[in-house]
Amino acid sequence: MSDDGWPQAAVDYVQAIADTKLLLGQRYGEWMLKGPNLEDDISGASNAQDEIGQVRQLFRLLQRQGVDEDWLESERDPEEYANAATLDAEAEAWPTFIVQAALTDRAAWLLLDAIDHDDFTGMVQKMGEDEYFHLEHHDGRLETLAEDQPEAVEAALERYVPQILAFVGPATYDAESDPLVGAGFTDRPAAEIRGAIHEHYVTLFEGTEVSVPALDDDVPDPESWDGTRRRVGDSHVDPDVVDQLQGVSNREYVIA
Amino acid sequence: MKYHVFTRINAGDDLMHVGTVQADSDRLARIYAHRTYDEEDWEFIGVVHEDHLIEVDPQPIAGGRAQ
Repeated sequence: MSDDGWPQAAVDYVQAIADTKLLLGQRYGEWMLKGPNLEDDISGASNAQDEIGQVRQLFRLLQRQGVDEDWLESERDPEEYANAATLDAEAEAWPTFIVQAALTDRAAWLLLDAIDHDDFTGMVQKMGEDEYFHLEHHDGRLETLAEDQPEAVEAALERYVPQILAFVGPATYDAESDPLVGAGFTDRPAAEIRGAIHEHYVTLFEGTEVSVPALDDDVPDPESWDGTRRRVGDSHVDPDVVDQLQGVSNREYVIA
Repeated sequence: MKYHVFTRINAGDDLMHVGTVQADSDRLARIYAHRTYDEEDWEFIGVVHEDHLIEVDPQPIAGGRAQ
């Protein structure tokens, strides 16, 4: 697909990926001084930098589609952010954070990688080079946590998997019915990405005490799924976090 | 577990020891080494588990005299 104008559903799709990466940057930043060792902190700081850099590129593309820059950067209410619901609240413990970041970063990458449009050629490949290190770090950490704290990992999976499935999209969005595949904007339907994520973690945790929740085709319910914010319900990120993202407390120092 | 990190800037150069990382697995050691020592555009970066280093430990040779 090479037409300059994207369908509205594609703008919403990229907005959700960008907002998810914005919140991923925030969550990595919160944990980069709280990891169990210095190496995790350094990796978290690098991941945060990568995510914020990717957000800059995605926001630039969204502006070219007519999305207002001020709205993107600083004039949105919390309920206008379309981030994956997994990131609404900070994880309270290290194993929870790793599951939260792992599921969300992988899902965001697979959604991005599914885009088949000239505007993303090259850029997605570069982002993939960043993401390799994020996803390897998560999987390496999950392997060791599955041995050391399997209950904590399993509890976090049960908490976050339904939200990540909602972010990816309903199971009814297959090759014939996914509207973005139909529009030629993506080449991999939501149903296939759901399956890929589930299979990845089933394989990763094979031989450990961690069970991955079954892939439930009824989650999210297609009837109540919000295709713009890619979640069910009207929950949103905490207003204090939005203030940080928008630099509210330091706005007086903005260079005009 | 401690891993030593070795790098070189140009192909053919000798490897340099640039530091160490603490990691619970080889997989994590690779990622930590890349993330921690990525200021340079290395041609090669690798890690060696400290247990795999062979110590060079000179021993006094016995002279064959009766003790």
